[in-house]
Amino acid sequence: MADIFVNKAPKELAVIPFYGTAALFFIVLCILLFMSASEITGHYFNPPILAIVHTAALGWATMVIFGAAYQLLPVICERELFSNHLAFLSYILLTIGTCGMIWCFWRFDMEWLMIISGTCVLCSSYLYAFNLYQTANDSNKSQVQQHFLLLSAFWLCFTTTVGLLLAINLRYTFIPRNHLDILKLHAHAGIAGWFLQLICGVGAKLIPMFLLGKSKRTWLLYAALILQNVGLILFLADGYFNPVTLRMSMHGVLVALGTACWLLYIIDTYRHRARKKVDLLMKHAGFSFLCLSLAFMFIPVILVSSETKWAALYGTFIFLGWITGIILGKTFKTLPFIVWNKRYKNLNGKAKIPMPKQLYHERLIPYQYYLYLGALLSMCIGIVFEQSFLLQITGILWIIVSLLYGYNVFRVIFHKTNIGYEDIVN
Amino acid sequence: MKISLTNEFAQEEMQANLALMQVIDPELNVNIVDLGLVYGVDFRHPQVITVTMTLSTPHCPMGDAIEQGVINVLHEAFPNREVKIELVWEPEWSIDNISEAGREQLGL
Repeated sequence: MADIFVNKAPKELAVIPFYGTAALFFIVLCILLFMSASEITGHYFNPPILAIVHTAALGWATMVIFGAAYQLLPVICERELFSNHLAFLSYILLTIGTCGMIWCFWRFDMEWLMIISGTCVLCSSYLYAFNLYQTANDSNKSQVQQHFLLLSAFWLCFTTTVGLLLAINLRYTFIPRNHLDILKLHAHAGIAGWFLQLICGVGAKLIPMFLLGKSKRTWLLYAALILQNVGLILFLADGYFNPVTLRMSMHGVLVALGTACWLLYIIDTYRHRARKKVDLLMKHAGFSFLCLSLAFMFIPVILVSSETKWAALYGTFIFLGWITGIILGKTFKTLPFIVWNKRYKNLNGKAKIPMPKQLYHERLIPYQYYLYLGALLSMCIGIVFEQSFLLQITGILWIIVSLLYGYNVFRVIFHKTNIGYEDIVN
Repeated sequence: MKISLTNEFAQEEMQANLALMQVIDPELNVNIVDLGLVYGVDFRHPQVITVTMTLSTPHCPMGDAIEQGVINVLHEAFPNREVKIELVWEPEWSIDNISEAGREQLGL
């Protein structure tokens, strides 16, 4: 029995810095949203929007996903993380690269600093993929969740490679196709390849654990994996060789069908769950999938409409509705447990110790949730009716949400154990 | 975990059961006995206690902390014995393993 894997958690440095830095980038993202309120409904290829999108995609979403993935990989692969040092190196490179990219996009400085920053992000993504591949390769078990993670890492590398080529193309033009068309392919490889497949893989593992639920319909996950990848490959190939038109939404339908299969698996798990009470954090995550569904419905609109506000609304559903919603919901389902495991594991049963939930201000979560809903709704209204003033107010709401979230994240990270000798003896 | 009163180690098993109730699953906030994670405690070896148990999810990230908790409380209750844990996945844990008290706490 000795070789049964319980949990060989990675070192703190391979996980915690990602969560802390992501919380800081979320605050930066919300400040940028406030500062650029009048630009949000404009064309997506303008400096503030490019800076905002890359803060959201790299500093916020990818940063926190790397941290969560390094923690969860040993659980999914039943093996220790291949290298804690490489994980930390990927953190350093991602942080430096993201800071440089945000600065360059904001000032639209497409010189060497941009190319160096892009190279740092590229190296970080390759290190992540290598670490993931080595960890999964050592594993003697193969689960569909592992395939989701491996394919999402491939798409991340593809996205960062195309992104770097696009950055170089702005300095030394060499891509024979329209820059904006390739930018769309780069964006969708990131959204449907990296974020969607990573979230599907991790969600298929974590959600049943949180709900104490089980589904026997694993084939739905395989169907999701195949449909999402076939749809994305067709989208990229079609988009590269032909002009981007409404026809391409057919490939989006395949990706949407794949995601529907995944959602059916989650619904089946939900119906067979032991924990009947669903807390606010799970509702946070549940709401995020509604935003993802809305984003899918908007794909034909952004392909045919020349109005830039629809692309802004689509991006809002993706980054602030879906990805932010799921991160706000899942952070306090993972981070407190990671910190608790480090601080209290050895004291379990020896003394009266706090539970992971007590490491953060649980009372702030409803405020965070309802403020988030308010910010998202007012942002959508502000975009549809192109109301800059409303978008500025929304920016303030987003800043409050990010501060509440950041406060709780750092409260958990800097939690100190206050258990004395007397507590242990008594 | 079933305790037979005719068993020669019934008293020790009851004492162990009471001690194991102090080990809480940090995610579910219910003790591991009421969750039905403990399948048996073996006192036949004079210097060793062998606990046969499972986890609610294979590869549970909190599994290490739960195991440590089991070792801590049994070492406290039986200082002269070494604690060994046999983690098993068969029979697989299900919600049917949860006691009435555990169900009440989980709101089932």
